[in-house]
Amino acid sequence: MNIVILGMNHKTAPLALRERLTIACEDQGRTIEEVKSIPEVKEALYLATCNRVEVLANVDDVDRAVDSLREFIFSHGNLSPDEMEACLYRYRDEDAVRHIFRVASSLDSMVMGEPQILGQVKDAYRVCVEKQATGIIMNRLLHHTFRVAKRVRTETGIAENAVSVGYTAVALSKKILGSLEGRSVLLVGAGEMAELAARHLKNNGVAKITVANRTLENARALAGVFGGAAVGFDSLPHALGEADIIITSTGSPGYIIDRSLVASALRRRRNRLLFLIDIAVPRDIDPSVGDMDNVYLYNIDDLQQVVDENMRSRLAEARKAEGIIDEEVINFIRWKATLEVVPTIVDLKSKVESITRGELDRSMAWMSGMGEEERNNVETLIRTVTNKILHEPVKSLKEECENGGGHSYIAALRRLFGLEETKK
Amino acid sequence: MDILFFKAALAVYLASTAGFIGSLLIRRVALARVSAWVLTSAFALHTVFIALRWLGSGYSPAVNLPEALSFIAWAITAIYLAFQIWTKTRVLGAFVTPLSLALVIASSSGVMGTVEADQSLKTYWVTAHVFLSLTGGALFALACCSALMYLVQDSLIRGRKIHGLYRVLPSLGDLDRINHFSVVWGFMFLTMGIISGSVWAGTAWGSHISWDPKQIATLAAWFLCGLLLHQRLVIGWKGRRAAFLSIGAFAILLFAFVGVNLFFTTIHTF
Repeated sequence: MNIVILGMNHKTAPLALRERLTIACEDQGRTIEEVKSIPEVKEALYLATCNRVEVLANVDDVDRAVDSLREFIFSHGNLSPDEMEACLYRYRDEDAVRHIFRVASSLDSMVMGEPQILGQVKDAYRVCVEKQATGIIMNRLLHHTFRVAKRVRTETGIAENAVSVGYTAVALSKKILGSLEGRSVLLVGAGEMAELAARHLKNNGVAKITVANRTLENARALAGVFGGAAVGFDSLPHALGEADIIITSTGSPGYIIDRSLVASALRRRRNRLLFLIDIAVPRDIDPSVGDMDNVYLYNIDDLQQVVDENMRSRLAEARKAEGIIDEEVINFIRWKATLEVVPTIVDLKSKVESITRGELDRSMAWMSGMGEEERNNVETLIRTVTNKILHEPVKSLKEECENGGGHSYIAALRRLFGLEETKK
Repeated sequence: MDILFFKAALAVYLASTAGFIGSLLIRRVALARVSAWVLTSAFALHTVFIALRWLGSGYSPAVNLPEALSFIAWAITAIYLAFQIWTKTRVLGAFVTPLSLALVIASSSGVMGTVEADQSLKTYWVTAHVFLSLTGGALFALACCSALMYLVQDSLIRGRKIHGLYRVLPSLGDLDRINHFSVVWGFMFLTMGIISGSVWAGTAWGSHISWDPKQIATLAAWFLCGLLLHQRLVIGWKGRRAAFLSIGAFAILLFAFVGVNLFFTTIHTF
């Protein structure tokens, strides 16, 4: 009963390699069937995302199982062993448990704290359950994993702050305007990053996206993507008055939007709050616009600074998360240790039961003179006494196992009660 | 009996204030959520106290300064709880509960004793005048709270301090809406309070206005508030300027309510 994990992730293996493996194992159901057919593997979980491929298994003979699993990965990746060996990591027991906890809690992700990975682990687990590839240990381990991931999410701020320029723009818009439902966005210029930010805004409820560009053709093309309107630069003053959020990203060498333009837009919109995001280099908006009342101006450096700060705070939160994971790894290992004691307890109880049974049968002769009720009372008395005697040693044995020192106690108990002999 | 409820309410107000401020310090919304329920129970206890007082004495329970303070605290809490259901901005509680708590503590010395009131004050006009004016004052207090929060949030966003307090405070849009709502309704209540007061004064004292310092200060606040509403509705004032003006209006009103009694002689009981 050993837990092992073999895998590769974005840090250890290049995309081309992960890709090949992911494609070879595209049918997760069939892959798990194959893993299950390895004789040393008792239970298994196969997880493949765009950033990682992992095989988690409960195996009998660790060395042989690891060899077989590596063989399996090599053949599917269709690569030389040397090439593959450099990318593959493997953990066992405590380290394997820690690794799956870290993966599901998004500590091992490319963008730390991203929320998708937990869903992907859950999906992978569901496929394995359907294929009956999991048993007591894996079920317990995966449910524990989900619980740990949830704890990390709620007890640390690892997923709290935006760590991309696009999400930062959305978060700031919400803090300035309140709800984004029904708001309108104006894109000035058709830059790639502006498009990305607009997409995030649209996903957060923005109703209308207008694109203004020097060449109307490009504006139309981008507006078509969002189902919005396209305007030329000549109607910029009018478009400014309509928008709540303005994102500029033109290649213009000078300022396109100055104080007087914004002032007239504010008059038109009766001073409703206006959020300007200037992600162009060189800048498109006169920085002094940011000093005006009811106008908030952020440029690309400001946004990047927020992102960096948020990333730093995520790293600090990650340390807290590692603490939670250490704690939970101990909990799981303890539970697993108590499993080792189960066969001994079963043996002990069945031995006592067989002795009781035998003695009762032998006493049938003299007990036959008793009534039905009295015979039952005698039987109950015997069972109560044996249970009481067994209670204390069984409890202590479980405790010792939880604390990791159970082996000598198990051996002693088996020797003292002659349990090995009964088995023979 | 009623005092018991008052004391209980005071204790629960204290707990809720601590909770709200704590949630701001540790930046956890969960604590604010619990504090909101604690505040709701404090409000319930306070309501029972006011109702018992009213039934026990037979006239409106806000005829002296301590009782008026207690009533304002009650009204502020009521309006805040309504806002919270409406806007889901629990953080406002960290600014509102200390105010309620301070008012309840200030009133505690007075409300514990028995209350004697002049016979001429036991009319419906006085009751209406007191309740309307005090509710107006409570709304202005909330306007002031939201304005202060607006100014803090505004300076954080402008200063690119996008962490900590920024994350806990509501959005500028929501704060401005709360401010606007409070000023509009505060103005209406204050107007009705002034009218009902002058109607009663007309019958009891023979003149609708006696240029009492309290009346003058209140009218000044009323004019400032009217100016603010005019600027908001006609010119479209928003944000910082509106925030400053509503803080100013509340300051004058506060002076009219408490300051005048300290520095001038006034015909008002409080």
